[in-house]
Parts: sequence; C-alpha cells; structure tokens
Amino acid sequence: MEDIENELSDRDRAIYEWQLNVPGLGEQGQVKLRNSTALVSRIGGLGGPLALSLAAAGIGKLILVHGGHLRPDDLNRQILMRHDYLGKNRVDAAAETLRQFNPHIEIETVAENFTEGNAADLVERADIVFDAAPLFEERFLMNRECVLQQKPLIDCAMFNMEGQVIPIVPGETACLACLYPEVPEHWKRRFPVIGAVSALIANIGAMEGIKLIAGLSGVNLNRLIYFDTLAMKLQKVKIVRNPDCKICKKL
Amino acid sequence: MTLTIDYTGQLASVVGASEEAVEVAEGDSVADVLKGRLEVYGEKFGELVFDGEGRIRSTLLVVLDGEQAAGDKENLSLEGVKVLMLMTPIAGG
Ligand SMILES: [Zn+2]
Repeated sequence: MEDIENELSDRDRAIYEWQLNVPGLGEQGQVKLRNSTALVSRIGGLGGPLALSLAAAGIGKLILVHGGHLRPDDLNRQILMRHDYLGKNRVDAAAETLRQFNPHIEIETVAENFTEGNAADLVERADIVFDAAPLFEERFLMNRECVLQQKPLIDCAMFNMEGQVIPIVPGETACLACLYPEVPEHWKRRFPVIGAVSALIANIGAMEGIKLIAGLSGVNLNRLIYFDTLAMKLQKVKIVRNPDCKICKKL
Repeated sequence: MTLTIDYTGQLASVVGASEEAVEVAEGDSVADVLKGRLEVYGEKFGELVFDGEGRIRSTLLVVLDGEQAAGDKENLSLEGVKVLMLMTPIAGG
C-alpha cells in the first residue's frame, strides 16, 4: 500500500485536490478521513446517498450493513441500487456502485441488519456509525452499543417531506434514548418518502460525520437538526441529556 | 395570548398542517393546550400525544421556543413562550 500513515499519496492529492482547499479540512483532515472506518446501517434511501458522499469525501473504509434483497419499491430512493439487481442482495449492489465510483476505498459488506447478536462486534469495527435504519429497535441497539463503546453516532431519520439528524457523542451529548426512552408505539415500518428528501437528509448527516472525523469545527452537538423540505425550513432544536437515561447516565 | 404550534412527523399528517396559531389563556400549561387540540383533532391526535393513562407520551418531543423541554411534561408552563413545537419520533430510511 502506498499510503503513509500521516501523509496523503500523490494519487489521493490528485483526487481530493478541490476539497483540500476547504478551510479547516486540508491535508490533515483528509488523512483523518482516509484513516477512518465508517459503518452505515442501512444503505437504502438515507444510507445509500450517505455512503456515496462518504466515499466521495475519501473515507478509508465503509462497512455497509443491510439485510434482504432488492425490491421494486426500493427504487424510488435507494440510489446505490440498479434495476438489474432486483431480487439480489442490496449490499452487493451498493458495494458494486461504490467500488465503481471510488475504487480506492475499502468496502466491507454485511448482508444482515443490526441485531442483539451482531451489534457489539459491528460497532467495535468502526470509528463512527451512521444510523439510517427504519426501525427503532435497530436504532436503539446502535445507540446502546455506541454509548457503551463511546463511539460517535450520527442518527439520521426522515418521514414524508421532513427529516432530522442528531449527532451523538457519548458522554457529551444527549443520546437517542435520552430523547426517546422507549420504542414509539405508533411508528410504522412503511413511511411516505421521496428519494430527494432522503438524499438531502443523508447529506446533512454525512456533513456532520465528516466534520467530526476530520476535526472540523461546527459539529451540531446537543442539537437536533430538523429540515422541512416543503417549507424549505431548517431548524436546530436544542436538546438535553436526560440525567435518568438508562443508556448513557453513567457516562 | 397567541401561541404558534409547529407540528412535525406523523402529527403534522394528522393535523393536516405543520403550523397553526391558537389563543391560550394565561396560566395554561402545555398539557392544557394539548387537551384543547385533542378536542379539535380527535382520536388519532390523542394516540400520538397521550399514553394510555392520559399523560403526554415519553417519546413526544416538546420544544419551547427552540429548546427541548426536559423532565416532567405534565406541568410545563407556557409563560413567555411564543412557539410550541411538537415532534413525533421518526426513523425512516
Ligand atoms: Zn442517553
């Protein structure tokens, strides 16, 4: 491997030249991105464009976590997929798209969703976790493991024409269980979604993660970033830790 | 006084709007206002806002002028508050 631990290769300088000029990023920030592993669960409407933006930014390694096979009704938003992958593993389609786009990053696929059995191991292998799962049971597992292992978690969610991103740094910020102490009774697996809304929210999440990894300022800690695409309104809601949170109160 | 209520997520769908202005009486709490909206919007609104014991759901984020209200939601004062934002949990991907 031509990469030197604290330096960029000439190849990487050529690829990332335009973003090395971004104030605050520079070569040091780019090296941090290249030396980092990001886990994305899942890689559908939110996680797909999120993984694509991380690949474009030059993250060193992506772990893509998503179970199941591609269905026709995934294709209005899951932009890493292709029609000829219908019936096949979603993670394989996503990995193929990402490898074609950026062959210089490492991609690992896990063709299953977060479960009690794999959560600890999956989080252990990542430096940062991006949550784009449709069920609160999975989200709470990721949150719990990230708090236990003190890894940052970027929680991304959307519904209808709206979305939200919560950057979680265990011990410093509210965690997901601080906000939602139990599984919400009325959340449904199927939700209304336009792909462009997912992609927009995904890229807000990607930016919060990139800032965290690369050491840029301006990460929205203890904020819930809410975006309404109908009104085109962005709002940052100040959120607070719950001193009685059963997940993070010990930190 | 006039209070603006912002609704997000499933609650905005049930209400059919993301914002409304309501008149509230002096001394009204968040819970009082929510009970008043329940009379307007009915059962589906109630399911998202209140639990089986009629208390404000633990998973409903109550935001007062841009800041999440922490702790007991039953006795939250609206004194000086201009915007009450109610956010139901979302998790779509
Ligand atoms: Zn917590």
